Amino acid sequence: MTSSTPRLRPLPLIGLALWVGLLVLVSVWMSQQSYRWLPVQASTAAPLVDGLFSFETGVGTFVFLAVISVMAWVMLMHRAEKYDESDAEPIEGNTRLEVIWTAIPFVLVMAIAIYAIRVNTTLGVLGPMEHIHVRDPLEQQGGYPGDRLPPESVEVIARQWSWEFRYPNSGVSSTELHLAVDQPVTFRLVSEDVLHGFYIPAFRLKQDVVPGRAIDFNLTPTREGRYRLRDSQFSGTWFAANQADVVVESGPDHLSWLKQAAGQPLQSGISDAVQEYAERGKKSNPGWATVPPAPPPQVNVPGSNTLPHDA
Amino acid sequence: MTSATFPASEPKPSWTRYFSFNTDAKVIGIQYIVLAFFYFLIGGLLAMIIRGELITPAADLVDRTVYNGIYTMHGTIMLFLFIFPVLNGLNNLLIPTMIGAPDMAFPRLNAVAFWLVPIFGTLLIASFFVPGGPAYSGWWSYPPVSIQNPLGHLVSGQGLWLTAVALSGVSSIMGAVNFVTTIIRMRAPGMGWFRMPVFCWTALAAQTLQLIGLPALTGGAVMLLFDLVAGTSFYRPEGGGDPVLYQHFFWFYSHPAVYVIILPVFGIFSELFPVYARKPLFGYVYVALASFIIVGLGLVVWVHHMFPSGVAQWMRNLFMVTTMLISVPTGVKVFAWLGTLWRGKLRLTTPMLFCLGGLFNFVFAGITGIMLATVPVDIHVSNTYFVVGHFHYVIYGAAVMGVFAAIYHWFPKFIGRMPYEGLGKLHFLLTFVGANLNFLPMHPLGLMGMPRRVSSYDPEFAFWNVLASLGAFLLGVSIIPFLLNMVSSWVLGPRATHNPWNAIGLEWLLPSPPAEDNFGEHVPTVISRPYGYGLGQPLVENQEAIERELNLQEARA
Amino acid sequence: MTSTTPPSGSLAPHGEGGEGHANHSLTGFVIFLCSESVIFLAFFSGFAVLKTSALNWLPAGVEGLEWRMPLINTIVLVSSSGTIWLAEVLKAQGRLWGFRALWLLTMALGAYFLYGQAVEWSGLAFGFTSGTFGGTFYLLTGFHGLHVATGVLLMALMLVKSFLSGNYDGGEEGVQATSLFWHFVDVIWIILFVLIYVWQRH
Repeated sequence: MTSSTPRLRPLPLIGLALWVGLLVLVSVWMSQQSYRWLPVQASTAAPLVDGLFSFETGVGTFVFLAVISVMAWVMLMHRAEKYDESDAEPIEGNTRLEVIWTAIPFVLVMAIAIYAIRVNTTLGVLGPMEHIHVRDPLEQQGGYPGDRLPPESVEVIARQWSWEFRYPNSGVSSTELHLAVDQPVTFRLVSEDVLHGFYIPAFRLKQDVVPGRAIDFNLTPTREGRYRLRDSQFSGTWFAANQADVVVESGPDHLSWLKQAAGQPLQSGISDAVQEYAERGKKSNPGWATVPPAPPPQVNVPGSNTLPHDA
Repeated sequence: MTSATFPASEPKPSWTRYFSFNTDAKVIGIQYIVLAFFYFLIGGLLAMIIRGELITPAADLVDRTVYNGIYTMHGTIMLFLFIFPVLNGLNNLLIPTMIGAPDMAFPRLNAVAFWLVPIFGTLLIASFFVPGGPAYSGWWSYPPVSIQNPLGHLVSGQGLWLTAVALSGVSSIMGAVNFVTTIIRMRAPGMGWFRMPVFCWTALAAQTLQLIGLPALTGGAVMLLFDLVAGTSFYRPEGGGDPVLYQHFFWFYSHPAVYVIILPVFGIFSELFPVYARKPLFGYVYVALASFIIVGLGLVVWVHHMFPSGVAQWMRNLFMVTTMLISVPTGVKVFAWLGTLWRGKLRLTTPMLFCLGGLFNFVFAGITGIMLATVPVDIHVSNTYFVVGHFHYVIYGAAVMGVFAAIYHWFPKFIGRMPYEGLGKLHFLLTFVGANLNFLPMHPLGLMGMPRRVSSYDPEFAFWNVLASLGAFLLGVSIIPFLLNMVSSWVLGPRATHNPWNAIGLEWLLPSPPAEDNFGEHVPTVISRPYGYGLGQPLVENQEAIERELNLQEARA
Repeated sequence: MTSTTPPSGSLAPHGEGGEGHANHSLTGFVIFLCSESVIFLAFFSGFAVLKTSALNWLPAGVEGLEWRMPLINTIVLVSSSGTIWLAEVLKAQGRLWGFRALWLLTMALGAYFLYGQAVEWSGLAFGFTSGTFGGTFYLLTGFHGLHVATGVLLMALMLVKSFLSGNYDGGEEGVQATSLFWHFVDVIWIILFVLIYVWQRH
């Protein structure tokens, strides 16, 4: 902004340089802090997303503070005196300045865009690139083309309002998602009724589940622990209660879990909506109309969604 | 509203004209604004219930169905019954007076467009009382949830919602045709395009967007209505339909809709900063043209709302880049405002405070907007409270604050009375603190992974939600000094002169309030650019004589 | 010095007069038509998306659409664009009766188009709810038909107005607007015909 003044004296220039330096320091500090605002990193995608977010936080903090500094300076230093009715010096514009402040945001956002496209591409190579295809009745009967046969595949069935996870290779089904750490996994996301969102914040990944389509979705968990899977696309009355737990465990633990689960008889899985719906029916004034929840899926392992989770 | 108590020197028109089919744009403008604030109170009350529910993790205040209905209606009322009508009210007041037209191009169409608002407003509010309750699928109304119709009745909350939104579209198109024609055809002699106030530029840009975008939503909504009531399957997967198609129709309009809202607010900032900084608008031509760059880019960004919906990678990258590019013309405007303020002689009046506060919030929203534009970050935070926070910073933090600035600034002109500064500053303080306390905590919540539209949440989100709720209640309180100010100054406020802020513009060469046909036959000829603060050039021919006459009139009164 | 005092209240009330300022009506109407075309654009693109992504486009038992009768209809509608243009030419030359005759002929052609459409609809083996094929077919043809009917009504209104003495100082723009609307409806139909009847392969 100061470049609009005709002659620069050294003292203001030093002050400005110091102030900009301070803003840079604050911005760098904020970009480091930004990692702490996010949940733990539990997938290969998470560090990439967080790195980009941290970069954006740094750039954003600097731009925000710079603009606010100008506003604060102007409000402190360029106030009209009381009873001063006069106008200020009429500056109608400055073409050079206008070109500069068109170019700077352009360069900045393009830098961010290039960074983001690179992250995008890396994410695509790593796996979490969804492959959408119309849900083919043939394929539904269990005929994956050979080249798409994944190391481990989990069929995720979203319903109003429950999640069911099927492990076709092991013949196991569950309402708690179990994954082996550091092993790529492919999900096949399908919905029986409306749109749902497959969202695991600790993995930084999200994909809408679209009825009528089957969406293949890959990821690799990197940290053992218990995380939340949340429905992220509004799906009706018990949308908020449509959550499941994701357990990331070591390879051997995962195998033994699968083996143990395969031996268990089918039983009702977790569906908070079904429980609440039953209680609601007893009330005298149950609220407005709702679609009844789908019956709880019949699974080998219901699991839990009330244990403490890492993110 | 008792304008009968005015110490009238000339026969004052009766206050009952505000309740009639009046074709005067200034009456219609005030009708729009007052009605919009009536709905604002209803929408705000719903927001209080939402934040009341979210102050605790469990779904304990209202039933989940009620919560879903309430958040849906909050969004719908605030957008279709508050922000669009209030901006159309400002358009009605400002466009004809700023360009020196006696009225809008089609005054009767204008009145019809206004009276559609209470009609569809009543329809929408009535949906609270139909069996099954109001629409509950969010203001996006994504199918298939929105076509589930649990009771199976022909008349459902969702059906009424769609009808109301369609009528709102009809009203907006009528308004847009009118505003665009008025600006193109009815400018004062000598007012070339580059002598037109920036508010008119931004209004023209915004209304152009309405004309291009709104029909797509209307088309999509008609198909949704058929799916709901006639059993078609445009979006029904069982019948071969595609639910994602609706999202394209919806966002093709509803993203530009945000620019329809924010562009006139840019106009307000561009009008007010020069007045209260006593300097010409920095880079007027560039600021004016940037509006149309925003229009062009705004039409090709809609897919950024659908990054997690399942779109191809090339589309994600393309729409990310277009979205990021939009920050360039927007940045140009922000820097131009800073350039206007720089070395000005600032007067921190109520309207100026609202502009500065609005700019502060807008810059913050711009930063989070860039974050949302980048696909990898968006994948994580889309459909979380991060988006809700970003959106409310834009709409409440920037747009509504800009609207308040405009109301305080032009109130003397169109009501003829001065609003009270003390109450105005209190209103500003409560709004600014309340908005930031309410909407800032939503960002960490979203980053942590709290989805939007939830009626219950995990306990780790409780802290920030309590803060947000406190902020919301503060915002609820903030409206009290505003209403007090408006009512008391309308009735008792000191009489306003024709130009209390010493501003430059055609509207300030009219008496306060202006006569029904504004300049009538004597439209002055514009001879210079707007915002000539400190330049000493008159805006119009014979400006001195006009002002002398106005001063004489005021002295006589 | 000219008196530039803004006159107060007592002047002839603006805006009470009919369609507002007459010379703005056409501008407003053109703007409206541009906006209206976006609805059709939305429907067309929706049709294309649904058709290209469908697994089974045609409902069971439906072979395709019969195109001969719609082709006759197309010829009728396209020629009506010519007759309305001629009507305007005659009006410009002041030959009012010739204008009325051609105007009436245009209306008749429009009405015939609607009749043809109704006959086609009544003979179809599928309905509005027969998948996305039936839905988009009736939506597109129905919405267009609604515009044809509106056009015929507008023409009738203009015809009546032509008998009011001295009306053509102000009614001029109404005729222009109606004619413009009619050409618009015509162009939309050509696109629609290509999309629905010519592009039948799936």
